[in-house]
Amino acid sequence: MKKILYFTIIVLIVASSCTTTSKIPKSTAYKGIYDEKPVSVLLMPPINRSTNVEAKEYFHSTLNIPIANAGYYVVPPFLSMEILKRESAYDSELFIDAPLTKFGEVFGADVVVFTIIHKWDKSGLAAKVYVEVEYIIKSTKTNEVIYTRKGAVTYDASINSGAGGLAGALVDMAASAINTAVTNYVDVARACNAYTFKDLPAGKYSPTYGTDGAEMSGKKEFRATLNKNYR
Amino acid sequence: MRKGLILFALLAILASCTTQKPLYTWGNYETTSYNYLKNTDEKSIQELIENYQKVIETQKGTRGVVPPGVCADYGFILLQEGKKEEGKEMLMKEIALYPESKIFIERILKMIEE
Repeated sequence: MKKILYFTIIVLIVASSCTTTSKIPKSTAYKGIYDEKPVSVLLMPPINRSTNVEAKEYFHSTLNIPIANAGYYVVPPFLSMEILKRESAYDSELFIDAPLTKFGEVFGADVVVFTIIHKWDKSGLAAKVYVEVEYIIKSTKTNEVIYTRKGAVTYDASINSGAGGLAGALVDMAASAINTAVTNYVDVARACNAYTFKDLPAGKYSPTYGTDGAEMSGKKEFRATLNKNYR
Repeated sequence: MRKGLILFALLAILASCTTQKPLYTWGNYETTSYNYLKNTDEKSIQELIENYQKVIETQKGTRGVVPPGVCADYGFILLQEGKKEEGKEMLMKEIALYPESKIFIERILKMIEE
């Protein structure tokens, strides 16, 4: 009896260590996705409200992999960007509260993904980047929000040389400073996107399509510390 | 025997936390895309093209199919480089792989002919 109790405790600890979920199943949290079964996803150019002028590009080039890998069809990002530019529809702010029927007609998109970068701050000495980003997926058929999450992410770009001691710490600090300078900020955006879309219901091309509704959704507003190794 | 079972169960749980093999592999898609967005110079275009070719030719994802959008975006870049026939071929390949792209891609094909 005691053994079973210990075993259960261990299992619970191990299992909880890798989840940051809410208590709401995906089929409830993202009911619109399970009802509408969207296939085709249009990525809108991210809305940048941060002070980092390049944040928009970091996010734009890293959005489609997690969504495609979840099993959705993602409308070709460069081609759709070109058409949005030509149609003077490149400013996503104009559409976030507007009817999206036109995007369904032109791009064949069932849903549209909006990204709002609220903050992108870096601290040079600590080699950390602090990002606040909000994701909103809306249906082109109903204009309803069918998925939304907001993350406060601390990205740790520091390097640990493993040398130890004061000298080691100094080496680490110098290396980390260099690392943020050239750091691939693309990695920061990639980690944010990958972390957020982990709980996106599986799409048509995924082997778990239609069978993942009982899994728990992630927290609507989350905090996370991520690093380069997060995929 | 019992201990073995417990160990096995623990390992199974741990394994479930690790990432599985993805549907598609993308090479250096993000970096090459970012460099293209930022610079759009000879070098970034060349690297983008090379990565598209790599993704198309050596797909190692579980689906074994070229990921969505790759053929079409590659075709778009080829068109911009003045390679009209090759570009069109890639756009058509996108429709063949992903029929849901038809509405949009046919619109593009029409625009090219105008």
